[in-house]
Amino acid sequence: MNKTQVALITTAMATLLNGCVTATVDEMVFNEPTEGIGDASVVILGRRHGSDQDAEPDFIKCVADHISRRDKSIVVMSELDFVNSFYPWFEPRTAPMHPSNLRTLMQHAPVAQRAAELNTEYMIWIEGSTERTDSAGSMSCAISPAGGGCFGFAHWSDEANYEAVIWDFTDLQEVGRVNTNASGQSYMPAFIIPIPIIAPVQGTACDGLGDQLLKYLSRNY
Amino acid sequence: MLLLLNACTTKQVIVEGKFPAPLMNKVPISMGVFYEDAFANHEFFDETKNRQESDWIVKTGQAQVAMWDTLFGGMFEGLEHLPSRPGPGYSGPPLDGVLVPHIEELQYAIPAQTNVKVYEIWLRYRFELLTTEGDTIAVWSMTAYGKTPTAFLQSSVKAVNLAAVMALRDAGAHFVIDFTNHSAVREWLQQSLERSNE
Repeated sequence: MNKTQVALITTAMATLLNGCVTATVDEMVFNEPTEGIGDASVVILGRRHGSDQDAEPDFIKCVADHISRRDKSIVVMSELDFVNSFYPWFEPRTAPMHPSNLRTLMQHAPVAQRAAELNTEYMIWIEGSTERTDSAGSMSCAISPAGGGCFGFAHWSDEANYEAVIWDFTDLQEVGRVNTNASGQSYMPAFIIPIPIIAPVQGTACDGLGDQLLKYLSRNY
Repeated sequence: MLLLLNACTTKQVIVEGKFPAPLMNKVPISMGVFYEDAFANHEFFDETKNRQESDWIVKTGQAQVAMWDTLFGGMFEGLEHLPSRPGPGYSGPPLDGVLVPHIEELQYAIPAQTNVKVYEIWLRYRFELLTTEGDTIAVWSMTAYGKTPTAFLQSSVKAVNLAAVMALRDAGAHFVIDFTNHSAVREWLQQSLERSNE
């Protein structure tokens, strides 16, 4: 088997092993910076103030990495570093829910001073989560002295819904809003060896949201 | 055999985390703090009711002291640790008041119990604000909550630790925003500030 055949088989396998994902992205922007954000930094934060509000930390990191990887001039501050820098004002209990709350927060001199030091131009709040909406099928695995294996078929559906709200940290107002929805079905047939065919639902939502935010923040997109 | 060996195991979490100092103007008073042994060595034990699950020991005492020391140190102009509960004949440094925190209750929930993919910790505190002579100025209760979603390759012990750290951070945040909301604390604070300005 030559190298071309190996590459073709690998590509075909990778394509086969990815489940299908459908994604939609809506954008609503009020005031887009024409020259990008320059030397300022941006922070992406997850909303986690209610039992149904639990943006996954790894999703927030994924969006932040997507932006900083595609445009290296944009400084994306780590969520934990930012929240620690402003403790206790951005905890789930105390985080501002509206830009007007940010105005009140900035009346505390140490908070205003820290904000100026960090030079944060935009604060992006992400709400939403990825949920398993359906699962069915069964699989059983057995092991014996002669060997082992799994048999069966399982499938499940995931749905990701996220909304990013962009606040201008300098003017203390909301300047944009981006929604993304992605859904997909994953499969796991097993005939001796389980073969997971995973739909990258959360990853697709991350890419969709990241691309839209890049259009807002970067002069190159 | 594996199932039998798994039964009746105990999972132990010694809560560890880093707690940032609060970003605020310090209240210009000298505060004392006394941690009772039950607080400084606080642990929670939950015995499982079925053989498929584990017993849990969650030791929060060390992390409690670390968090509250950092919080009080960043919140008050002066902070003194007292070796014993204040009372008549107090001979330590002059203080405006002494805080004595207590943990009244700790509850936890893990996905094995709730079928929800979240680890949760609830804490209920009781705070006593005393004079150096041991007289009560104010007593109040306060709750704190922390949760963490399940994550791929994250052990249940790590997840419970993270939920406990989130609960402790929430406790600190709740204390900061709630401290002056109690009328008795507000009155005492006003008197202390007037005394220091004289």
